[in-house]
Amino acid sequence: MSKVNIFRQSCKGVDDCGICKFVCPQDLFQACQEMNAAGYFPPEIKDESQCTGCRNCMVYCPDFAIWVEKTDDQPAEEDEDKNAG
Amino acid sequence: MSVSEHPLRKYTRRHITRTTTCPGCGIGTVSQAILRAIDELGLDMDDFVFVSGIGCSAWIPSPFYAADTLHTTHGRPIAFATGVKLGLPDKNVMVVSGDGDLTAIGGNHLIHAARRNVDLTVVLVNNGIYGMTGGQTAPTTPRGLTTITSPYGTMEHHFDIAPMVAAAGASFVARWTTYHPRQMTRSIKKGIQKKGFALIEAVSQCPVQYGKASKLGSAVRILEYFKENSVRIDKARAMEAEALAGKIIVGEWVDIAKAELTQEWTELRRKLREESECHKLI
Ligand SMILES: Cc1ncc(C[n+]2csc(CCOP(=O)(O)OP(=O)(O)O)c2C)c(N)n1
Ligand code: SF4
Ligand code: SF4
Ligand code: SF4
Ligand SMILES: [Mg+2]
Repeated sequence: MSKVNIFRQSCKGVDDCGICKFVCPQDLFQACQEMNAAGYFPPEIKDESQCTGCRNCMVYCPDFAIWVEKTDDQPAEEDEDKNAG
Repeated sequence: MSVSEHPLRKYTRRHITRTTTCPGCGIGTVSQAILRAIDELGLDMDDFVFVSGIGCSAWIPSPFYAADTLHTTHGRPIAFATGVKLGLPDKNVMVVSGDGDLTAIGGNHLIHAARRNVDLTVVLVNNGIYGMTGGQTAPTTPRGLTTITSPYGTMEHHFDIAPMVAAAGASFVARWTTYHPRQMTRSIKKGIQKKGFALIEAVSQCPVQYGKASKLGSAVRILEYFKENSVRIDKARAMEAEALAGKIIVGEWVDIAKAELTQEWTELRRKLREESECHKLI
């Protein structure tokens, strides 16, 4: 299982940004109820056991607020060219 | 186990705890793509000099990156970077700036650096607008878009940056959007490794100014637009012009080897020095 680390203080809010929620193929992100020091509501993960370790949330987050640690038995990161248009 | 900070933070200055951009701005995704490229190549930040101009995009390296950063005047980063590269040929010199900075006021520096084939890596963040100053029309703004300086819609045609820089003579040219951060990272890696002028055009969302002008609004809606309207260059080559209207062509335009200016200068200096030594002996 992957560990999705969310650095709450770096996030600029699911309502204003929400990119992690948009790019998660498992739809695992939702806004949490607790504001961070900058006044934004960072995301929380609904069910970490559903995470595929694709790392989309990490590579798209514009504020360095997510880091996904993967376990060895998980598939490689999503195919580079899958989204290429 | 959980980590206490983002691993790419080892490349950023300790006292800078947050990015300067608005929520959902694509500039941060480009910033991460650059640091991931450097990380994956195993390079040291001390081997880099980052040069930027003025605008939101120009804040990517400065003050965020823990490296030598040169935050210059509007439009001029490529001119400064050319000097840095010729003076310190062993450094990787990377320019990071916006579409307004590098194609409007700085447009001539861009095409001439490509023509001269100076060994620079230019990451040009194209959000189609002057973000920082409040959303004025840029040379990259799509025709017809209403902005604060084109209340009836801009009547001008926009620059198609990647093919323009390719035509000017660059050694490496790519374009991706912030919907393609992995491909962008791969092209930035190639750009850094290229001995010659390399341009990576990063089409990016400005949810605040461009979002308002285009009425697309949020970051996610602009990303959806990128997703739906990007066409890979190999597919685009087989398509009619009408079918490509409003599309964003993505991919790599050029990846070639050719004589590079810094190398030529170094060679010339060596030759002249040798000749003058010979004269002294006579
Ligand atoms: C000589 C000069 N002219 C004009 C300006 C005002 N100015 C600052 S940033 C900018 C445009 C920035 O646009 P862009 O490069 O696209 O960056 P963005 O903010 O969109 O990332 C302008 C016109 C200036 N700082 N200096
Ligand atoms: S993408 Fe990053 S900054 Fe945006 S809401 Fe998610 S965690 Fe926050
Ligand atoms: S790694 Fe992929 S599946 Fe897991 S939370 Fe992030 S985006 Fe969702
Ligand atoms: S004004 Fe636009 S480009 Fe500038 S930081 Fe805000 S969203 Fe990004
Ligand atoms: Mg701009």
